[in-house]
Amino acid sequence: MLSTETIYFVIFTTGLAVGFGHCIGMCGPIVVSLSLSLKGRSVLVPHLLYNGGRITTYGLLGGVMGATGSFTRVVASIGSFQKGVMIFTGILIVVMGLAMAGWVPLGEIFGDYYNPQGLLSRGFRKLSETRSAATYYPLGMLLGLLPCGPVYTALLAAARAGMETQKTMEGVLIGVGLMLSFGLGTVVALLLIAKLADLGWLKRRDVIYKISSVLMIIVGVYFVVKAIRY
Amino acid sequence: MKLVVKAKVFAAILCLMTFAICSVASGAEGEPDRVVCDVHAGPCRAHISGTKVSLDIEPKPVKAMQDLTFSVTFAGEKPVAAPYIDLGMPGMNMGRNRVILRSAGELVYRGEGVIVRCPSGRRTWKAKVTFPDVGSVEFVFDVIY
Repeated sequence: MLSTETIYFVIFTTGLAVGFGHCIGMCGPIVVSLSLSLKGRSVLVPHLLYNGGRITTYGLLGGVMGATGSFTRVVASIGSFQKGVMIFTGILIVVMGLAMAGWVPLGEIFGDYYNPQGLLSRGFRKLSETRSAATYYPLGMLLGLLPCGPVYTALLAAARAGMETQKTMEGVLIGVGLMLSFGLGTVVALLLIAKLADLGWLKRRDVIYKISSVLMIIVGVYFVVKAIRY
Repeated sequence: MKLVVKAKVFAAILCLMTFAICSVASGAEGEPDRVVCDVHAGPCRAHISGTKVSLDIEPKPVKAMQDLTFSVTFAGEKPVAAPYIDLGMPGMNMGRNRVILRSAGELVYRGEGVIVRCPSGRRTWKAKVTFPDVGSVEFVFDVIY
């Protein structure tokens, strides 16, 4: 049996490794969509908030797994909710794609239509930016519930670790700790993808945005179809 | 100019990290033998260093996201250390999912585990059975979602 320190390290490196393999493939489209919707604004804070939200959900789920010591029971009870989150994510990506291309006038949602003239307008824009960045945290929390193979594997480890503890609280703490370690490991890859998708350094941004919009709509529809079949 | 340098440094860091993670993930060991089988029909069988090894998973049909019992039978001299199973998908890192096996009779080892579900829809999984002092073999099979 692995020592507690070793298991935290193993779970962290697992997060790091699956982040660069699995997460880029599965969560990459979401991260890219979120980056593109920022349209030139700094991606760092929103994405840190998004990842913070995602890891919070992982930690909460880890706590439940550690407390119950039963992976299958917990997963069965959140299965239909996860399907709903997957459909929501697909629709969200489609809406972001439509808004980004300008085919649907949803710019206000992303805070693009405020003209920063005058003190009041500038203040309002600032508020709008803060608000839209802050929404990335609850969004991350919600999307942390997306069904994902490696997340399931980490939750399985949390449930097993919880099963071996004597007290429920110990199980909760180890479950939370393991899932936080896993989540932190995945952040590196997703932040890099977010930064790569930040098109601030490209000259022909409009063309890239149009192409990306179409791709986002396709990816969003794909998510919805996958969710229905899931 | 400054942006080009930034992009190059960024790309270099990305390549280095990917290389480092790939090196850690692949390990130094050689690839074990791979046997494709129908786990729903009965035990999967193979040889490790000339000794018969079988893997059975219950209950059948084998479904993802449910508690499963893994049984490994070794038809040779009793190994020094108990075997274990690493579950994963061919060509996809799903994280470390190890089933610890314990002796359940003469040359039979048993343990509990779960095969998780991949939202991509892929159903092919592998179970790498390792006897620490003998060797390992990979059984590849489809599961039901």
